[in-house]
Amino acid sequence: MSVQEASPRKRPNAGVNVLLGLTLLGLLLLMWVILAFATPTFWTENNITNLARQGSMIAILAIGETFVIITGGIDLSVGAVVGFCSMAIALLLGQHVPIGQAIIATLAIGLGIGLFHAFGIVQLGLPPFIMTLASLTALRGIGLLITNGATISITKDVFTGFSRGGFLGVPNLFWMVLVVAIPAYFLLHQSRWGRYLFAIGSNAEAARLSGVNVKAIIYLAYILSSVCAAFVGVLLAMRIGIGNPTQAEGWELQAIASSVIGGTSLFGAIGSIHGPLLGSFILTTINNGANLLNLNSFWQRIITGLLIIVIVYFDGLRRKKR
Amino acid sequence: MQAQSPSAAEEQGANRTGAAPLLTLEKLDKRFGATHALKAVDLSFERGEIHAIVGENGAGKSTLIKLLTGVHPRSGGEIFWEGAPVALASPPEAIGMGINAVHQEVVLCPHLTVAANLFLGDETVRFGFLQHGAMVREGQKLLDELGFDLPAAVQLSSLTIGQQQLVATARAERRGAKFLIFDEPTAYLTRTETAALFLLIRRLKAKGVTIVYISHRLEEVFELADRVSVLRDGALVGTRKISETNENDLIALMINRSIEQIYHKDKVGLGATILETKGLSGKGFEDISIRVREGEIVGLYGLIGAGRSEFVQSVFGRFPATSGEIVWRGKKVDIRSERHAMDLGIALAPESRRDQGLCLNLGVGFNINLPIFDKLSFGPLINIPSEARHAERQIKEMQIKTASRNANASSLSGGNQQKIVIAKWLNHGAKLFIFDEPTVGVDVGTKAEIYRLMGQLLHHGAGLILISSYLPEVYELADTLHIFRRGSIAASHAFKDASHETILTEAIGV
Repeated sequence: MSVQEASPRKRPNAGVNVLLGLTLLGLLLLMWVILAFATPTFWTENNITNLARQGSMIAILAIGETFVIITGGIDLSVGAVVGFCSMAIALLLGQHVPIGQAIIATLAIGLGIGLFHAFGIVQLGLPPFIMTLASLTALRGIGLLITNGATISITKDVFTGFSRGGFLGVPNLFWMVLVVAIPAYFLLHQSRWGRYLFAIGSNAEAARLSGVNVKAIIYLAYILSSVCAAFVGVLLAMRIGIGNPTQAEGWELQAIASSVIGGTSLFGAIGSIHGPLLGSFILTTINNGANLLNLNSFWQRIITGLLIIVIVYFDGLRRKKR
Repeated sequence: MQAQSPSAAEEQGANRTGAAPLLTLEKLDKRFGATHALKAVDLSFERGEIHAIVGENGAGKSTLIKLLTGVHPRSGGEIFWEGAPVALASPPEAIGMGINAVHQEVVLCPHLTVAANLFLGDETVRFGFLQHGAMVREGQKLLDELGFDLPAAVQLSSLTIGQQQLVATARAERRGAKFLIFDEPTAYLTRTETAALFLLIRRLKAKGVTIVYISHRLEEVFELADRVSVLRDGALVGTRKISETNENDLIALMINRSIEQIYHKDKVGLGATILETKGLSGKGFEDISIRVREGEIVGLYGLIGAGRSEFVQSVFGRFPATSGEIVWRGKKVDIRSERHAMDLGIALAPESRRDQGLCLNLGVGFNINLPIFDKLSFGPLINIPSEARHAERQIKEMQIKTASRNANASSLSGGNQQKIVIAKWLNHGAKLFIFDEPTVGVDVGTKAEIYRLMGQLLHHGAGLILISSYLPEVYELADTLHIFRRGSIAASHAFKDASHETILTEAIGV
């Protein structure tokens, strides 16, 4: 008599990681092929560049978010940081600050926000969930106070023109993904700090007892997340030509979902850079496809929500098996 | 389950009536994927016997428990309960039949009271309301009857791990267990607690309860058990009456290695002083003066809570000392942080490997390299080939049994996990190794390996501090032995300078 066979225990290693990446890539291509046949508008230059631009911003957010999630934390504030920073750069440009300096100053704001998050989490011992949720609502509030609810338009065409431009036929915004992803890859997979991020996500106490400066690495993770979000804020301001602190609502969930679809474990210590990249374009394709198929846009939110539940459920299963 | 025709089952059942054992296993088999964890085990458990099961880590003891308690389904074979075949497919089914297990790691609710834990899932209720008072009274009565000196009204988490274990036992007793499995129950118990537990086990036996007792401590097996079964590599290699066997016989069955080879003590010439503490005091310890030289094992023996761990934690910079001084290789140092201690060359193999020592869901190689990633880096980037080389070399040198350096640390046995912790420090250039209970929950074979490893460290000119609550261990290994009692050193001895009895008396302080 055979009782049910135990499933073989798979361990995440490089092989499985590549396998997951290929599966996601296959899924993405499959969705593109289906949409290309199902709708007349999907495979048009206009739509593809649109998809690339939208996906790029979520991809950069997701990469930053991944650093935090690998340490076993979460950053719920990234959407608010995007909105706040789009406002910040619009204000700076309105004061005739040179573009380069305005971008650097905006990224510095992101750095400050990340420092603040890490301070609350490391020094005050607040749960990351609470700390970043609180700053989500506070940042939107500060932004609304500063602008009094008004939208600030950007008149510098050089600035806004960049987002519409391209290089080698690829939208500039997509190049920006590589600008972030390549250093991020080296940091996460090829540097000791990347190793420490994983170690902390797996067992912070063991990492500490092995001489890892756990506090500094947690600071690093939250700063990276916020700086990536600030960068996306700059890109968003370029793309829509306005600054408004209420922009990018709900993008934190898209970033988290992208990261998790890409194989990052919400329980920490598992994740990559290519995963959230693929995840964000899958998510963006779902939203884009839903639009083209004339699905009520409210459905997109429901789909995103359900997707998160399903994926986190499987993530939990994966953890239990070990 | 339906594959078995009912008539065949009845026939087999009929054969067993009369003096049928309480539980019989026939060709019990378990596979996890490619791993054959349990190989056609035939075993029977009589009513009211204490049946010990021994074997090295990974011999299949845990798997056997999990099959008996319904946690895992079996891959093949039959289980008969009072002569009749049973499915035993879920934990509630096992508990319903009267099979209970007391695990090494306590599975209770730490935030509830002792009484609430005792009655969990079976609360005393009147008109829909919990009867807290009645449960505390009943619970206290039960604890008193069992001879445990424990309060029923306090929160469980305020008790020591050992005391919580006793609560778990009392709970199993309350649930009317007929078949009770103890998995390494004494690993975290003090002597008095162990004595109370043994008394309870004997009382349960007298009431006709069948006890399965799993332990690495063979002396306990000889003290308690009626019969003992030995598992090796998932197969049953023998069952003996306790009166017809001895420790050497059992160890030979378990590993083919004699007991003299376990406590392998290398004689190494003592060199310069590495660490000296002078009148060191802090939270939980007072006026501790010890010296550790190159090639020396300094044993710290005492009951749990005697201040040994607190003392070494302050040497390791975790809770800096409040007075006294530490001299490190001739220089007075003030160790304020763990980082500082590590940079000096102090390594701590913590008591709780799982909580403090390892990143379990990361690779073996990752764990080994964790303290030295800065040395494996060239500029900001890690030298990936040298990272791999280094991990491979340590795995080979320490003889860590693992599928590959990328396998998760959690997939290794306890002993091999301990080896990873030690390997971590070897190339970090540590000079002083602090081992806090290095062999708790580790089998005889791995113990021997860990002791050999300590010998290797001594040959490299390192000094060792060995904290242990297991007297034979410190007795056989320590060149200098300090006995801790209530936060201070009660006595000190040179190698085998005092008898076991003297040392025990000094530790307990009669």
